[in-house]
Amino acid sequence: MAGAHRETLTSLHDVELATKAATGERKAFGELVRRHGSAVRGLLRRMGAGGAEADDVAQDAFLAAFERIAEFRGEGTFAAWVKRIAARAYLRKLQKERRLQNLPADSELPAGPGHEGEAAGRIDLDEALKTLGAAERLCVSMCYGAGLSHAEAAEALNLPLGTVKSHVKRGLDKLRTRLAPAEGVDPEGRRRNG
Amino acid sequence: MAEVDFERALERMFADAPAFPDSEAFAARIERRLDRGWMVRRAAIGGAGLVGGVIGASQLILSRFVDRIETASTGSAKIITAGWNEVAPAADLLASTPVGSPVVWLAMAMALLALGFVVTRLIDEF
Repeated sequence: MAGAHRETLTSLHDVELATKAATGERKAFGELVRRHGSAVRGLLRRMGAGGAEADDVAQDAFLAAFERIAEFRGEGTFAAWVKRIAARAYLRKLQKERRLQNLPADSELPAGPGHEGEAAGRIDLDEALKTLGAAERLCVSMCYGAGLSHAEAAEALNLPLGTVKSHVKRGLDKLRTRLAPAEGVDPEGRRRNG
Repeated sequence: MAEVDFERALERMFADAPAFPDSEAFAARIERRLDRGWMVRRAAIGGAGLVGGVIGASQLILSRFVDRIETASTGSAKIITAGWNEVAPAADLLASTPVGSPVVWLAMAMALLALGFVVTRLIDEF
């Protein structure tokens, strides 16, 4: 009986599941968590949270999303909506613990062995993000992972808009260099052939 | 244009979520927390309703609300009582209770209402 119900839920669209969740159906919301939990946990890790911390924040974000599920009207995707909630929740945590003020702009992590020769090999996004400074990583992840505008990121981070734009630009420059072989885009921004 | 291309590519990479081996356990944990929160909320609402009901009923009794209603509509009450006595002589039993039959009827109506809520809730749940 429960299995059949679960099967029914898996066939529903996110918006339909959200509508059901808005009436208090927790199983429908559970299905949404199954679908998008990894995306949220991944984003928080990419923002710089440790594994356990990212999972705690992701849990709280999903619970907050359930409380506010009636606000989700399906204009964007559910994943994007819940990622924004999670990103803001993580920033609030950083602010509360006074970790946001002490974020170094430049990279804390030195390039590991083998990074110099990576121009010829593939390097994934997670590895590339590790080469960014904490602030750059946060700003880039918020804008390109959580879908916040520069202005929204500046407001959430309580930083001047110009500072956020600088962090994003520096972060993008570093990522472009790192990801060039993987994405077929050379460091100057020109598309590679093939 | 190339800048935009790179940004789109970056967005695609961010959207490409890594797979977690414990994703099912993660979802189950959240469902459990939701269920627990729901139970607590239901217990709190039930408790508040019970306390409110007790306070309301005691206030009704203490304020001699029924007496005042009876005084205000003696005629109607007599007609209703007379009519009721004709169809159900057992109503005498209710009239002989210390609080009077209107209070008993009121309590029964409230109990029916509460039962209705419970049945609706159960239908929603299962």
